[in-house]
Amino acid sequence: MNPSTFTFNTAEHITFIAPNVFDTMLGLAVVTASPGAFPGERVSGAVGIAGERVNGTVYLHLPEPLAQETARAMLQIQPDQVPGDSDVHDVVGELANMIGGALKSLLCDADIYCAISTPSVIRGAFAVEAPPGVRAEMFYFTCLGQRLAVEVHLQIN
Amino acid sequence: MPVKILSVDDSKTIRLIVKRAFAPFDCTVCEATNGEEGLAVAASEKPELIILDITMPVMDGVTMLTKLKESAELKHIPVIMLTAESGRENVAYIAKLGVRDYLVKPFQDSQLIEKVKRVVALQPKAEVAA
Repeated sequence: MNPSTFTFNTAEHITFIAPNVFDTMLGLAVVTASPGAFPGERVSGAVGIAGERVNGTVYLHLPEPLAQETARAMLQIQPDQVPGDSDVHDVVGELANMIGGALKSLLCDADIYCAISTPSVIRGAFAVEAPPGVRAEMFYFTCLGQRLAVEVHLQIN
Repeated sequence: MPVKILSVDDSKTIRLIVKRAFAPFDCTVCEATNGEEGLAVAASEKPELIILDITMPVMDGVTMLTKLKESAELKHIPVIMLTAESGRENVAYIAKLGVRDYLVKPFQDSQLIEKVKRVVALQPKAEVAA
């Protein structure tokens, strides 16, 4: 494949992958939303992608209340109970892993062979800066009336 | 005699989902958080089936599968991969190592149960008790 003519349509893939992950694992509807403000405090799962021709990171950003709701739904925690931080981290990390894993599989099917890392999870109000030369794209969604985002940093050579 | 299933995944969430999926059946689910632990639990517990993730710390699922198939004592244990990774080449490579089936995350409990039922005989708990 000629790298100069190859385009990987991240938007098309992520707008299918993210709703599919939430629907299948949690039975929650995730709908594409327009770009805009994103709440500062968030729980973010990150999965690294690395290969000879590609490197990057896939982030799943959830506002704290939505991160708790997803943990409650996935672990079937009673509505009157608050999921622990480690439960929230594990669920957000696993959801990020599923999104990153699906993207990795599509890259491999396009002959861009790569591996993914185990997920890491960070909390707080922050913006992620992409290294020079890395294409950074942010995709916004809503779920349970809250905004969430999938951020993809990819450099394909 | 309950069917013994080993779930190897670094995610507590996935191990819990697997355990919950098989709660209605006469089986016990033991757990391991990486391939190294998985090999040790497989050797001590002798499960009838292993449900195995790929990307894990310490030892990944592909390495565990390779070592499992090299072991005279453990190579007969059927393995179902349960992973977020599904690239064609990846699946083909792992199939060659000798897995019984492959389920891609995200997944529903019913899909996992269906695949496991093709490998081991699962009896509902109620039937066993009766």
